[in-house]
Amino acid sequence: MRPRAMAIGCAALATAMVLSGCGSESAAGGKTKLTIGLFGNFGYSELLKEYASTHPDIEIQDRTASYSDHHKNLAAHLATNSGAADIEAVDTGYIAQFKATPDKFVDLNTKGGGQLKDRWLAWKWESSLSKDGQQIGYGTDVGGLAICYRRDLLEAAGLPSERTQVAALWPTWQDFMATGKRFQANAPAGTKWFDGGPTVLNAIVGQAPVGYYDKSDKLTLGNNQEIKQGWDLVVDGVQSDLSAKLLYSTPAWNTGFKQGQFATVTCPAWQMAKIKDQAPDTAGKWDVTSVPGGGGNWGGSYLTIPKQGKNVDKAVELAAWLTAPEQQARVFTGAGLLPSTPKLYDDPAIVNYQNPFFNNAPVGKLFTDAAKQLQPQYQGPKAGDVQTAIGNAMQRVEQGKQNGEDAWRQFVGDVQKLTS
Amino acid sequence: MTAVLDPPTPVRPAGPRGRARRLARRVAGPWTYAALIAVLAGSAFPVYWSFVVSSQTPDAIDTVPPVLVPGGHLFENIARVFDTTDFALALTNSIVVSSTITVSVVLFSTLAGFAFAKLRFRGRNALLLVVIGTQAIPTELGVIPLYMMMSEFGWATKIHAVIVPGLVTAFGVFFMRQYFERAIPDELLEAGRMDGCGSLRLFWHVALPAARPAAAVLGLFTFMQAWNDFFWPLVVLVPENPTVQTALSTLAAGYTTDYTLVLTAATIGTIPVLIVFLLFGRQIVGGIMSGAVKG
Amino acid sequence: MAVVDRAARKHRWDTKFAPYAYVAPYFLLFGVFGLFPLLYTVWVSLQHRNLLDSDGAYFIWFSNYHQLLFADPYFWNAMGNTLSLWLLTTIPQILLALGIAQLLNRKVRTRTLFRMGVILPNITSVAAVTIIFAQLFGRDFGLINWVLDLFGAGHIDWQAGTATSHIAIATMVVWRWTGYHALIFLASMQAIPASLYEAATLDGAKGWQQFWRITVPLLRPQIIFSTIIATTGNMRLLAEPLLFNPGAAASTGGSDRQFQTAALYLYEQGFTNWDFGYSSAIAVVLAIATVIVAGLGYLVTKRIQTD
Repeated sequence: MRPRAMAIGCAALATAMVLSGCGSESAAGGKTKLTIGLFGNFGYSELLKEYASTHPDIEIQDRTASYSDHHKNLAAHLATNSGAADIEAVDTGYIAQFKATPDKFVDLNTKGGGQLKDRWLAWKWESSLSKDGQQIGYGTDVGGLAICYRRDLLEAAGLPSERTQVAALWPTWQDFMATGKRFQANAPAGTKWFDGGPTVLNAIVGQAPVGYYDKSDKLTLGNNQEIKQGWDLVVDGVQSDLSAKLLYSTPAWNTGFKQGQFATVTCPAWQMAKIKDQAPDTAGKWDVTSVPGGGGNWGGSYLTIPKQGKNVDKAVELAAWLTAPEQQARVFTGAGLLPSTPKLYDDPAIVNYQNPFFNNAPVGKLFTDAAKQLQPQYQGPKAGDVQTAIGNAMQRVEQGKQNGEDAWRQFVGDVQKLTS
Repeated sequence: MTAVLDPPTPVRPAGPRGRARRLARRVAGPWTYAALIAVLAGSAFPVYWSFVVSSQTPDAIDTVPPVLVPGGHLFENIARVFDTTDFALALTNSIVVSSTITVSVVLFSTLAGFAFAKLRFRGRNALLLVVIGTQAIPTELGVIPLYMMMSEFGWATKIHAVIVPGLVTAFGVFFMRQYFERAIPDELLEAGRMDGCGSLRLFWHVALPAARPAAAVLGLFTFMQAWNDFFWPLVVLVPENPTVQTALSTLAAGYTTDYTLVLTAATIGTIPVLIVFLLFGRQIVGGIMSGAVKG
Repeated sequence: MAVVDRAARKHRWDTKFAPYAYVAPYFLLFGVFGLFPLLYTVWVSLQHRNLLDSDGAYFIWFSNYHQLLFADPYFWNAMGNTLSLWLLTTIPQILLALGIAQLLNRKVRTRTLFRMGVILPNITSVAAVTIIFAQLFGRDFGLINWVLDLFGAGHIDWQAGTATSHIAIATMVVWRWTGYHALIFLASMQAIPASLYEAATLDGAKGWQQFWRITVPLLRPQIIFSTIIATTGNMRLLAEPLLFNPGAAASTGGSDRQFQTAALYLYEQGFTNWDFGYSSAIAVVLAIATVIVAGLGYLVTKRIQTD
């Protein structure tokens, strides 16, 4: 390397030092800079702007990453005790895993959380509570269940498309699959009844009184009839060619919404935002109605405050504000996320809310009813990983690699390995 | 394994006479052109297609049959990229990171490669094996201890944390060593020593000029790799202080996965590398053409 | 006399110690930023350790290794996939690169264009590559299946099968890295004196024979280099299989782990399962396996001989 190049190199290094010196921790003018780490659409952009304008001493930086990058980076930042945002969102699938190391988080009970406790559904509060009673996160939304369906596609197959009539087609999941067979017989080309087996199965599991774990953190798969029956039913649906065989939250699934590859999709409340964001051109074609088989939960999140943060108290204040009923109400009407605060379930502003994207479906009534019916289900330490494993198992059936029994057997083996 | 270090069959660089001779290389016939054009099409098609998508509306990506002609939305999409992220900062950061790493890697690799190829010292073979061995380590787990160090130094979230671990690479040392092995005749160095040249002068006056084409190739490769690195930057940097690659993953992680936006940003992010390639590329071509060793 | 003596001493110092000074920057920087993470990984691999709970870690010595090598079919599945992908990527990469370099070495007009063309894949961001190839290999709306359909060959679910997924991933890797190796070969090919070819032509050797008997043997150091570099890269493929299957199940590498590489298994154990100890043991075993495979690759390429 010649001297000139070296000089350039030194200059570059010097520039590097100068430039990175700019990225200082605290913002100018004595403001406190709070960072908030999110994934997907929490519906917070307006709320954060408003909070910053009513709190002139606070500046907020939103860091949104993909679901898996977000949780992976959070784990890495907690493991090394640095780099986490002041507020970090955690999904239901991960909350049990994170609350096993509560010392990494601020115990919200010591920050006035105890007085706020009654805001939330009792089970929501408990599921982020560690074994020793430390509260690591304030609940954001819950994933009350419904079914989103394409009116045009149902009509094309000669089925009714009005909400109440549609709901009457499927009081149970057996009826849902039977309707699917009727649909498939006359379905438009390239359209299947549901998006993919794993999506349907997650809803069925979410409705079971006992999930993958019992309350003593033991796996229940050996004798959990609800889950096994749900499995068999979905396998039958897949083998009757009702599935578009798309795995949820993948690019191919997103495309499926745009291309109308399926007529129905299991809709936890947060799903509505996804559909709307992903396939804006399908506005008005979708509708929402009640789910077969009663109330259940799939997903929902928490806002945690990592202990390593420099502005813990201000972060706690912001997290409490974001999860307060008034703000959750606005998130519901803005992005469709179902509040975890029961006070709102009888609030007329919520109950009477209709979503224009979904053909003015009365989603307020629908989801608050679902939330009231919801039977809390205990989530064990690796519930998220078990959900991934059962999704893989169902995909093996969809891809024709295994029959239902073999795929189930391998799944049970996987889960035992996971938790050994 | 010492065999890695066997002196490979030397190809003596042709002297000035060889220069005229090499010009007698085979002239390409129509089949060569056909094959090259096929290779070029295969290499460039995905890149071309991402340019096409970045000039279209978001629907273009999953249209059947695929859209193959650019549309008129390129500037609109570019504006959206700069609105959505601090892409100017990302470009600046990436340029600083990649050029610093490139200069350092080329300099240190040339020095070490020269020593490994042309100087005798105890433990040479063992040390070279260590260098090659370090190339085999999967780096993914290293992010945890590396992160611990960076936060200890107070560099986490800053671009130092991306620069410093990249300042030397085993690849670079090995690459330059393989090149020197062949490019400089031992007799030339012996003659230099007879004239009383120290090893530093040999390095400066004999090795460095000979290393120009290889250093250019290494510089180009290092720049490209530093530019495209994303696993470590994604862990250690934050979205407020991104590189091009971490900005891309932020764009990809928005509320909706807007591929048009990602591919537009990726296309913009390719331009600086293309410029570097044009700069270094001339150096490579010129260096190779003029022969490895002057006189 | 004293002058000569001093010169001699200086010379001795120069031959004895200067070489160490030249290699020192590499080892110093590597020692700080490379060695510590490495030793740390080895140390952690002897522990039972949750990623988030370093205080709760305790030594179990070789239990992780024992479990890994003797009681974990998923590890061996991942190693099998790793080796399969290594074969499917490394060999085509080297052979194609030799061929392309040979073409580029002829007197070609607009050679800069072609040279830039072959390196284009390598300057494309991984994020873009992923999106592009996901669309190319898409099951329902992918370009490749669309073309296959035109010829009446039907749809292929590239992710579902072991062979098809390996082919798709290998295509991504070969596409990205072949031009890179071609440029390495090209740089050396241009230093081969034309007289060698002229002599061979006089002996009646055809172009193809000249390629195998002159070009390839003379490129031996670069072929060895490329083989080792490609091996170390391809033995730890992570981004391609990870991004080939985006979504919550990304780190399992397919519904039946049909394309989970060892590096991806390491990633799953470390960042999904948070088993830092076990994951570190995988890293150590994978590093050793990589050295062995690179050694084998070396032994094969070393046999390239001049006539």
